Amino acid sequence: MSTDTAPRPTFVLRRNRGLFITACLAPALLLVGVFTYYPMIRGGVISFQNYTLFDLSDTGFIGWGNFEKVLAEPGFWTALANTGIWVLFSLTGQFVLGFGLALLLQKAFRGRGLYQALVFFPWAMSGFLIGLIWRWMFNAEFGVVNDLLLRMGIVDAPIAFLASPEWAQTGQIIANVWYGVTFFSIMILAALQSVPQELHEAARLDGASYAQALWRVVIPFIRPTLVLVVLLRVIWILNFPDIIYAMTDGGPAGKTHIITTYMINKIIGAQDYGQASAVGLIVLVLLFAFTVFYLAATRLEKSRDF
Amino acid sequence: MRRPRSAVFGLVALTLLTSVLTGCGTGGGITLRVIQSLTSPERTALLRDMITAFEAANPEIDVRLISPPLQSADQKIAQVLSAKNDVDLVEVRDYTVKQFVNNQSLLDLSPYVANWPGWQELTPLARQKAASVGGKPYLVPYGFFQNTLFARTDRLSEAGIKPPTTWPELIEAAVKLTEPGKNRFGYSFRGGAGTFHYAVSIISAYAGPQVDPAQGFWRKDGSTIFASPEAVTAMETFLRLFKTGSPPGSLAWSYPEMVQGFTSGVTSLLIQDPEVIKTTERATGLPKGSWTTLPIPKGPTGLALQPTGYAGWGVTSFSRNRDAAVKLLAFLSSAEQGLRWAKEHSLIPVHTAAAQDPQFSTGAFKAYLDMANDPAQVVVERPIQYPGWGRWQKQADIDVQSLLVGEKTVAEVLGSWDKFWAEQKKAGGA
Repeated sequence: MSTDTAPRPTFVLRRNRGLFITACLAPALLLVGVFTYYPMIRGGVISFQNYTLFDLSDTGFIGWGNFEKVLAEPGFWTALANTGIWVLFSLTGQFVLGFGLALLLQKAFRGRGLYQALVFFPWAMSGFLIGLIWRWMFNAEFGVVNDLLLRMGIVDAPIAFLASPEWAQTGQIIANVWYGVTFFSIMILAALQSVPQELHEAARLDGASYAQALWRVVIPFIRPTLVLVVLLRVIWILNFPDIIYAMTDGGPAGKTHIITTYMINKIIGAQDYGQASAVGLIVLVLLFAFTVFYLAATRLEKSRDF
Repeated sequence: MRRPRSAVFGLVALTLLTSVLTGCGTGGGITLRVIQSLTSPERTALLRDMITAFEAANPEIDVRLISPPLQSADQKIAQVLSAKNDVDLVEVRDYTVKQFVNNQSLLDLSPYVANWPGWQELTPLARQKAASVGGKPYLVPYGFFQNTLFARTDRLSEAGIKPPTTWPELIEAAVKLTEPGKNRFGYSFRGGAGTFHYAVSIISAYAGPQVDPAQGFWRKDGSTIFASPEAVTAMETFLRLFKTGSPPGSLAWSYPEMVQGFTSGVTSLLIQDPEVIKTTERATGLPKGSWTTLPIPKGPTGLALQPTGYAGWGVTSFSRNRDAAVKLLAFLSSAEQGLRWAKEHSLIPVHTAAAQDPQFSTGAFKAYLDMANDPAQVVVERPIQYPGWGRWQKQADIDVQSLLVGEKTVAEVLGSWDKFWAEQKKAGGA
């Protein structure tokens, strides 16, 4: 008879454990559900609705209407092209300078702690604030950048940075590089410190120069981190409208919008949540495609790991 | 089993305690929530001060002030209203009133103002603006905004120029006062966000008597002002003002830069709203008595046309404390509080009692009095009640910038504006 009753407690226990695990996960699932997935799904639904804040009395479904309108606007395609430039140049600048700083910070020197704190400082600032600060710095008439250039004799007349699309975008990218260098420094420095000392010693014994050791030993070792960090950063830069919004709000003449500031303008200007959500969904699809590439790339890296 | 039970008991006790304590906090009376839009630190301090006075007179009412950041305040308010969140009194602006009424967020104040003596203390214009949507008072204005011309009198007399009264005179003065080598320019041009307003101003002045004041974007024959031949001349003049009399960087200037340009002495002429009077008075970069305000410039036909902007307070349609909210509204809109508000923020007042107040009839405010008494200074309406208004503003800013950088022609821009507003009118958005 005892064999009959034996499985029972196990079953109850297993069921209880299941309940327990679910209960433990519930708060996290709930939070993610309410603050991430619900807004995302709601946004997806709104993108198919006629949803303008000016008049909410008729918010019926209009099929692909919002997408058709957005895709027909030349401004959207300018923003898309700018997004590419924005991500590529910001990333390159941040990566190269961040790598350099990480290499410098790796060596012990007097006051390294203070220096590290100074380097990491921009990361703690709000993007909107950074945008506002650089907007005044790049101002043609009262900006510090022009003042310095004039005093050093590099230019004869102030450059109206924010008045031409090319200069304005250059300015935005400079601000973004200044902000993002930090992230790469932190991550790459952590990765560099994980390189075993034996590898350095072995390279030195084999007579490798600093550059050779860096190129052949250190970089291959930290490559998985680099790939991960670069790909993460691409997503973040693409989703980072703060600096552009505060510096030029896409100006002059809407030539410096990226896709996310373009989306914000759909809300602030036209108050068209439908079209803004459509743009949001397009961003989501683009990022999804990118993530697929990202996952494929990281899997590729794992197979080549040390 | 004992532990969970005690935990539950603890939770219940905590909840009860919290609710009791919160109850104590409000004094067991009414809590009103007020949300403001045109937030600034000085203004918030003044508003708090007024609210404290109200609370002292009405101990049963507790007022909470919500102050979203200026940039996104109207957006936040719209969201709060559409979600019918717990808000009783809301700041309503000329740009948002139609939207809030469309979405049935505002209470019709007709039954209240009928019994409120303060209603009669408002100027006729204030009462008219209060009921500008659907003929019902959905808000009580606290002040008006109109442009005036800020001018550096010291530089004008130094250069031997008389104060400009027309656009051509303004450009001539701006050009003469421009010395790029000294980082000194004539006019504080606005090429960034909000530039459309200045483009429309100059077009209206040039179209002059043809404009229908009740519908400022249209002429009396029903066509838009952008289709008039005078609009082309006006826009060309506007471009010349930028190219010859303004800082090159002003292509990207918005409100803060254009005001900073004037208060720092980089520019000598500025067209702006009355609250800039306070800013300019506080500016340390300007010598005392070196500036004045003048009526805005007129067009070749001798007319200047501009809208009267306004903002005020309204009660939400879903407020659970209507009577208390109306009480607060009446308090804030009383002549005593209203005049204090207008003075400290240098707004055009909404109370008839202001006529006896020296602050509004002398000094920098005199220009407003002069404009009010000049029949050639015409008040016009902007098509803010059309669904396309918000969208057009953003697009028009981009269009003007395209003109300034030479990517579009005057004819292209005016043509697209004409088409847009002709279509809006046909769709019958109003």
